[in-house]
Amino acid sequence: MDPILVVALVVGLALFFDFTNGFHDTANSSATAIATGALKPKTAVLIAAIMNFVGAFLSTAVAKAISVSLINEGINIGPELVFAGLTGAILWNLTTWLLGLPSSSSHALFGGLVGAALVFAGVAAINFPAVLEKVVFPALFAPVIAGVAAFLATRLAYLLTARSQVSRKATGIGTGRSNFKVGQIFTSSLVALSHGTNDAQKTMGVITLVLVAAGLQPTGDHVEWWVIIAAATAIALGTYMGGWRIIKTMGSGLAEIKPAQGLAAEVATASTILASSNLGFALSTTQVASGGVMGAGLGRKGGAVRWNKAGQVVTGWLFTLPAAGAVGALSAFLVMAGPLGILADLVLVIAVSIAIFQISRRNRINHSNVLSEVEGASEVVASPRQVRKAAADQAKKDAKQAAKKPAKKSTSKAKGGK
Amino acid sequence: MINWNSLILVAAVAIGSSVGLVTVFSIGMRLLTNARNIQGHTKKREGARPIEALNRIAAYLMFTICASAVLYGIYLIVPYFHLDK
Repeated sequence: MDPILVVALVVGLALFFDFTNGFHDTANSSATAIATGALKPKTAVLIAAIMNFVGAFLSTAVAKAISVSLINEGINIGPELVFAGLTGAILWNLTTWLLGLPSSSSHALFGGLVGAALVFAGVAAINFPAVLEKVVFPALFAPVIAGVAAFLATRLAYLLTARSQVSRKATGIGTGRSNFKVGQIFTSSLVALSHGTNDAQKTMGVITLVLVAAGLQPTGDHVEWWVIIAAATAIALGTYMGGWRIIKTMGSGLAEIKPAQGLAAEVATASTILASSNLGFALSTTQVASGGVMGAGLGRKGGAVRWNKAGQVVTGWLFTLPAAGAVGALSAFLVMAGPLGILADLVLVIAVSIAIFQISRRNRINHSNVLSEVEGASEVVASPRQVRKAAADQAKKDAKQAAKKPAKKSTSKAKGGK
Repeated sequence: MINWNSLILVAAVAIGSSVGLVTVFSIGMRLLTNARNIQGHTKKREGARPIEALNRIAAYLMFTICASAVLYGIYLIVPYFHLDK
């Protein structure tokens, strides 16, 4: 196959990854603002999209510095390897989106590339200490740091704005806590901006890597202008699409969030990310934001974290690297088979992506029902199987009810009374 | 292999700045509520006005601190502002 064609395919795939990266991570900055009503859903994703677009242009420092450090030096990271790695990252991003799980897109990208490198160059290609240092340990610490910060901040926010019920009644003036929403607008924009400066860079870095490897760009010390524009546009479009399933999990699935908590979570997220990127201990935005939401959830009296959902999210994080790696490795086998293999791989990825979109339509979540009272309060995003099961259960119940209707009247009334 | 110093530094700065910033913002909100409270009480006797103004001014001072923190955040995000040219 013409090497230029392979490069073009890789660039296309990289931009598609960037797009999934965008809608996967919309939740990081906008979920808490949407959950508290600080911003309307559509407005929130629009602001996030603009911030991501602008952020992508602010710097190309990360893109220039990206050498996939989890893969040992001396291993040739060619277009084919990147192609296989990207398929792993894309499919894992789409799967976690379908399940409504916030997971790190960067880890998915690293996982896919590592898996592909394993097949292309063997176990010796992987820098395992770097995997521990850059992926495993940060995943342990990110949510804890942001969680503690958000927890303490929430506690203080409630303490400082507390007013006794007597004085509230006497004056007719409340605690004014809903005004925390005003602050949320700024903090959520800040999170989106920092996301844009980081994540679009990774796609630019990957594209530049491939261009250099294919000899289409002499050195990797700059990023071509069309790459910057394309990557910025892809991530902004993705962000504007809004990964509503993940927004739902972050905004109401992990914990019920009120304005003071939303502000605390966002401030904690922004501070942790800025501290980590400026003091040299890179943390995943998604994991930081999830930890912030959980900490804020615990910080309010009577607030609670839905540990069941939190457990699912953390399980998703554990699987991100190996799962994306497994897909990347399988892809690599196909790609190594030659041009036909690459084509087959491409067709497979497109087919699976379409299938995932089709499945997602069974319980569609978008800006209009992302926080509907009925489902939003207690239910979390259900997997397709859960949806089918729930539907079947409901049908069974209805049938039972219909059969026993006259006899059951009194019992159902008693039940309703509790 | 894990840089404990930078980890602890990141944790301390992140937690410290979050707590500090939210505290300042909350105090601002509290002062605003107080000001409204005083306003509500002084409808009849005019004397307490300066205290209301004091509360309001202090509140806006707090929000100014928060706004500068946001600006500092933007400064940190945009490398153009702080990288050596």
